[in-house]
Amino acid sequence: MTLQNRSATTPEPHGRAIEISGLNKWYGAHHVLRDISLDIAESEIMVVCGPSGSGKSTLIRCLNHLEEYQEGEVSVFGHTLQRNTQSDRYIHQTIGMVFQSFNLFPHLSVLQNCTLGLTWLRKKSDSEARDIAMSLLERVGIANLADRFPGQISGGQQQRVAISRSLAMEPKIMLFDEPTSALDPEMVKEVLDVMVNLAKTGMTMVCVTHEMQFARQVADRVVFMEDGEIVEVGPPEQVLLNPQWDRTKEFLDHIL
Amino acid sequence: MSNKTGLKQFVAKPARLPTQNDQTIIRRIHSRCFNTIGNSILTISVVVLGWYVISAALDWAVFNAVWHASTRRECMNISPEGACWAGVISWFNGLIYGRYPTDQQWRINLGFILAVMWLFPLSCQKIAYRNFILLSWIGLYPFFGAYLFLGGTFGVDIGVFHGVLTCLASGFFILLYANWLLAILNKPHLCEIFQPLASRLFNRWSQPLCLLFVWLVLSLPAAAVLSQVQLQPVAIERWGGLFLTLIIATFAITMSIPIGVILALGRQSTLPVVHWLSLLVIELVRAVPLITVLFMAVTLLPIFLPSDMELNKLSQVLFAVCIFAGAYMAENIRGGLQAIPRGQYEAAQALGLGYWFTMLLIVLPQALRLMIPNIMTSFISILKDTTLVSIIGLFDIMLMARNISNDKDWIGLHTEPIAMISILFFVLCYSMSQYSLNLEKRLKVDRS
Ligand SMILES: Nc1ncnc2c1ncn2[C@@H]1O[C@H](COP(=O)(O)OP(=O)(O)OP(=O)(O)O)[C@@H](O)[C@H]1O
Ligand SMILES: [Mg+2]
Repeated sequence: MTLQNRSATTPEPHGRAIEISGLNKWYGAHHVLRDISLDIAESEIMVVCGPSGSGKSTLIRCLNHLEEYQEGEVSVFGHTLQRNTQSDRYIHQTIGMVFQSFNLFPHLSVLQNCTLGLTWLRKKSDSEARDIAMSLLERVGIANLADRFPGQISGGQQQRVAISRSLAMEPKIMLFDEPTSALDPEMVKEVLDVMVNLAKTGMTMVCVTHEMQFARQVADRVVFMEDGEIVEVGPPEQVLLNPQWDRTKEFLDHIL
Repeated sequence: MSNKTGLKQFVAKPARLPTQNDQTIIRRIHSRCFNTIGNSILTISVVVLGWYVISAALDWAVFNAVWHASTRRECMNISPEGACWAGVISWFNGLIYGRYPTDQQWRINLGFILAVMWLFPLSCQKIAYRNFILLSWIGLYPFFGAYLFLGGTFGVDIGVFHGVLTCLASGFFILLYANWLLAILNKPHLCEIFQPLASRLFNRWSQPLCLLFVWLVLSLPAAAVLSQVQLQPVAIERWGGLFLTLIIATFAITMSIPIGVILALGRQSTLPVVHWLSLLVIELVRAVPLITVLFMAVTLLPIFLPSDMELNKLSQVLFAVCIFAGAYMAENIRGGLQAIPRGQYEAAQALGLGYWFTMLLIVLPQALRLMIPNIMTSFISILKDTTLVSIIGLFDIMLMARNISNDKDWIGLHTEPIAMISILFFVLCYSMSQYSLNLEKRLKVDRS
């Protein structure tokens, strides 16, 4: 698998996948998201970066109802989210999420982790669910581990299972919250490769990550956040190589 | 060594076996028990003390004991120092079956054998509808068991509802064993055989309907046989002994899990009514001793129920013991629920699993497994607590044992029956705790 610029292989983005306008969120008196407005187009790859505590996780968790917010509006393909965290079928069907700490279900085998949603929510038969899950595990290169349990495989493999688990539900949008930051350097690549391949299929992706190599190669736009605000948004060449703000430059100097 | 790139090639050293650390037993004992003067004194005094206690106990229970005698007096004459097991032996039947008619006791044996056999197919991983086995054991077997133990004729002593469920239970049992046999022979299971027929008749729901159909068909011959058989009716008042103890304990143990789960989830609920109601039940029941709960069930329950509904004492006791065990179980399960990391809920929610799926598929399986040791401890104490029902006059094993000393032949024989019951309970409880250790190992949440 080679990393390559995706713009050549994917169709031009069209239509809006996510629209965020005037989003504000407080934890008690702590103002964690301040007037966030951002549109994400269909098939766009958006990378979110910024220092720790700047509200990156909070922002993407607001997009799929894991976090409630007090002001503003978020809509997904025109469907407006409720502000509270009541479960919303449309949102969970449309958006998949991958977490920093994998959050696999430890009492289920790798295969069962992937078939769970298919059998119970999509009402697929056992063999159908199994076929779908196996083809996804094949795609991320771990079909041979299907019968192991999450505690028996490496972190990189666990994260790839988590990606397959989300993909099994056929989401239109995938959110990644620092998917590689709990991994050893050697495993980071295997997970990033999977994400790059996913990007090539035209999936809309919002990735919180500090892997700037990844951002440069696949991102359509990069968002830099600080103290709950969006400081800069733009194509990776602009934000990463030619930042307009001192704070962005300082941060990039740190991690590059 | 170097290869084409000019770098040295890394080759790992060959692995070798760990150095053997073979200590003889004598040396091991020495290094653990006699390594210091203090330890030596401690070891010797424990051994001496142990010897006195054990030899005295053995003298009483084995060497000086009387096994054959017809009255307590005879025992005393033969060996005044020893245990009089003869009394326990002559009452043994009563201890096990209570006052159940002797010629009908095969029904109890059969009932227990069937109850155990119902669970055997669980050992087969491939069997169809494996999840239903435990459910049917909880939901169907009790009706069958009640019919077997109570006896009577269908439609006369046994109500229609009870009779139908008894037949369905028998039908399910046959289905279970047929499927087990087919699974062992690697053949498709019964419902699969009839599947083509069913899918031609109904285009939707063909699978569950097919299962229902096969089950009903198998229940018909069972119904035909059962309606012809006339079992001699045995009143509940005659049930007793270990038989009754096991019924109460099994019932309480199996019901404590669902009741506990409901109360624990209720307590965590954000709906105020559900939350406060669960909290009230849990705290009320836990703040009161079991004896009072039992007395309240016997005296208060009939007042609350409509007057034409008459409950026998056993149902009242079962109700009380279930609520009591459930309230304690709820706290165990709550402990397990709290140990589940938030990430698990979030991952489940992100997948789109709603509240019930998240709880049933993700959270509870993990919480229950984490809590196996605590749950087993509760099970064991439930089993032991059931002996309290003797206080409100059920002839369980405890009351039967105390009755021995009222028998004119064995008057005053207190110690031996109690010793016998202790041994019995030890065997039961110890096997439960060993089984729990085994279960814990097999069902570890993360199989690392
Ligand atoms: N549950 C919570 N209660 C109160 N404050 C919180 C909570 N979760 C996050 N915060 C605060 O909100 C702010 C943003 O947190 P967030 O997790 O979104 O940061 P982040 O950018 O993802 O950081 P990191 O790179 O460390 O993951 C932080 O200051 C954090 O302390
Ligand atoms: Mg974060």
